[in-house]
Amino acid sequence: MTAPTSTTTAVVPTPGDDDGPAAPAPAAPAGPAWRDRLLDARPVLVPLAAVLGALAVSTGLAALAGATPAEAATALWEGMVGTPYAIGSSLNVAAVLLLVATGFLVAHRAGLVNVGGEGQIAVGAVAATAVGTSLPSTVAAAVALPLLLLAAAAGGAAWASIAAWLAVRRGVSEVITTLLLNFVGVAVLVLSIHEEALLRQPVTSSETLPQSSPLVDAAHLPLLGLPDSPATAAVVLALVGAVVGSVVLRRTATGVRLEAVGRSQPAARRLGVPVDRLRFSALTTAGATSGVAGGVLVASVPYVLDEGLASGYGFSGLVVGLLARGSFTAAVGIAAALGFLVSGGINLQLAAGVPASITQIAESLIILGVAGTAIWTVRRTTRTRRPWWRSRTTGRTAARPAPEVAP
Amino acid sequence: MIPTLTDLLVASIALAVPVLVAASGELVGERAGVLTMSVEGMMLTGAFASVVGATSSGSALYGVACGAVAGLLVGVLQAVLSVVLRADQIVTGLAANALALAGTTFGARLLLERGAPVPGFSRVEIPLLADIPVLGPALFRQTGLAYVLIAVVVLLAILTSRRTGWGLAVDAVGEDAASADRSGIPVLQVRFAAVLVVGLLSGLAGTQLALSEVHTFTDNMTAGTGYLAVVAVIAGSWRPVGVAVAAVVFGLAQALQFTLPALGVDVPFALLVMLPYVLALLAVAGFVSHSRPPAGLNTAFVRQGRAA
Repeated sequence: MTAPTSTTTAVVPTPGDDDGPAAPAPAAPAGPAWRDRLLDARPVLVPLAAVLGALAVSTGLAALAGATPAEAATALWEGMVGTPYAIGSSLNVAAVLLLVATGFLVAHRAGLVNVGGEGQIAVGAVAATAVGTSLPSTVAAAVALPLLLLAAAAGGAAWASIAAWLAVRRGVSEVITTLLLNFVGVAVLVLSIHEEALLRQPVTSSETLPQSSPLVDAAHLPLLGLPDSPATAAVVLALVGAVVGSVVLRRTATGVRLEAVGRSQPAARRLGVPVDRLRFSALTTAGATSGVAGGVLVASVPYVLDEGLASGYGFSGLVVGLLARGSFTAAVGIAAALGFLVSGGINLQLAAGVPASITQIAESLIILGVAGTAIWTVRRTTRTRRPWWRSRTTGRTAARPAPEVAP
Repeated sequence: MIPTLTDLLVASIALAVPVLVAASGELVGERAGVLTMSVEGMMLTGAFASVVGATSSGSALYGVACGAVAGLLVGVLQAVLSVVLRADQIVTGLAANALALAGTTFGARLLLERGAPVPGFSRVEIPLLADIPVLGPALFRQTGLAYVLIAVVVLLAILTSRRTGWGLAVDAVGEDAASADRSGIPVLQVRFAAVLVVGLLSGLAGTQLALSEVHTFTDNMTAGTGYLAVVAVIAGSWRPVGVAVAAVVFGLAQALQFTLPALGVDVPFALLVMLPYVLALLAVAGFVSHSRPPAGLNTAFVRQGRAA
């Protein structure tokens, strides 16, 4: 899927793209200078307007739930940055979102949309727990942690590789397969913590919770050591991941090839780029980073695998990736903002009695606002699009009819 | 009571009806070229609104009206995004689902009391037919709402078949919007209406789930059924009969969750929960059917020369 929210769909015409009407967006070459500047600023202004709109709606909803705007704002602010503890937990959430978003951006550069963050987090967490609970307690942290994170990455990558294989070999849209794999992946997590033969802690009484045994101490993610802050090494890990992703995509031949695949598969194929292999690796990489996110979640307080572990992170990570529009710098900022928003939302529920789902309402409104206004922010929206569930792996794209513009 | 084949069938049909109703709406939408991923959100919103309507008025029929209107409203939102604003249909669909999930969870905290009685529909037995062994109870001991909805589904399939002007218009718009436009079919109106049909039927499907089967609203009570409806359209090769068969298969797969444990078969619950989605994966992977989607599916239409 070429999401119109991405900048990659906007610029270069693909071969076979019959040059219909240029920019459907109201480009105004002869307008006054301020208007030009306003139009150029649209990619920034529109998300900003979407955020403001979402904030306005959320304030209204909070008022409905019985919290005055002042109360809600105070509770939100306290939850976000009120205490070192709040800041630390916000950063931890942001780290998980950034990990998911980093993989999303890599796959998106190759024209793939990874909707399967949640399932990949779940399977990565299961793999990490399997390692983290079976290691002997004498093992050193320098061995245990890398092993755990590797297992998590492998789990997430394996999960995404199912969708990647189906996309490359059978031409099935990765959107629908990663989506369905979410449900299966979460069920795998539930299965593994309900069966003693798998990862469930030994059942000693009827009150034994369906969750895993705690991880060995060596497999706990170290804290960053900030005073009173629960921020873990995950923050550093996520930032390093984003930097590596950014360098690979922007400064290496692999990055260029991925972009070529994302812009036009037939063209990339004609240039000798191994299209199938790159698409497979890109989606698998997305699975790996989401898997690491799952591993990070397990290796943080309370160091057990439980049912709700993956919930919400997959979608929020996707939101970060979509809003970042290909930029890792933007992804870091947006992940941080959403991380603070999620923590603030939890405090909103605790302190002001406003249901925490209000933050998800705000998130989805932002996405609807940004995606819904794409025709004004992305210059070319009418272009060849593959059918949504048969991806263009078979080289049929060139033969497909041109965009649906009446000639 | 030891569950039998009859009980399995009863549960299968009960779970298949919401999938069938939503999928037959989605079929019309996809044939018109609009991929509506927000079926899940429409169902959930419909379920929520129907329970709120039924509890606040004390009338199940009023609940049905609320569920239908709520589904229709999400349909309007999706139609404006997909057809008018030509936004990415998958991204906006998923976002609408997230909005519906968060919105109904939020609304349930404010508007619904735990344990309050929900007026719903009880099962109506059709004399004689319900006594047919094995199949009778499954097919002829449904709620009144279920009978009405099945009639609506059949009516919709007839009205949009290839023998009617409406059906031809829907297919024309979905296969080749530019040609349809040149021959005078109002492409955008047909597509808008098709998405409204998806919204209406999905809202009713959610209502059926809430008022006929579960008799209450719980957070995320559709839990992926809407996605199964979308997949049922693919698995059914964009044909009404195929879609109905796929819906029944998904219903059966879901029903095993409740019937097998009652039979004493020791299968982990989570394996049964994932079964419908594994089947759905196999279906979209093309291991079940090989067919061609409408050519214009998930493609926005813009007429040349019109300022966008």
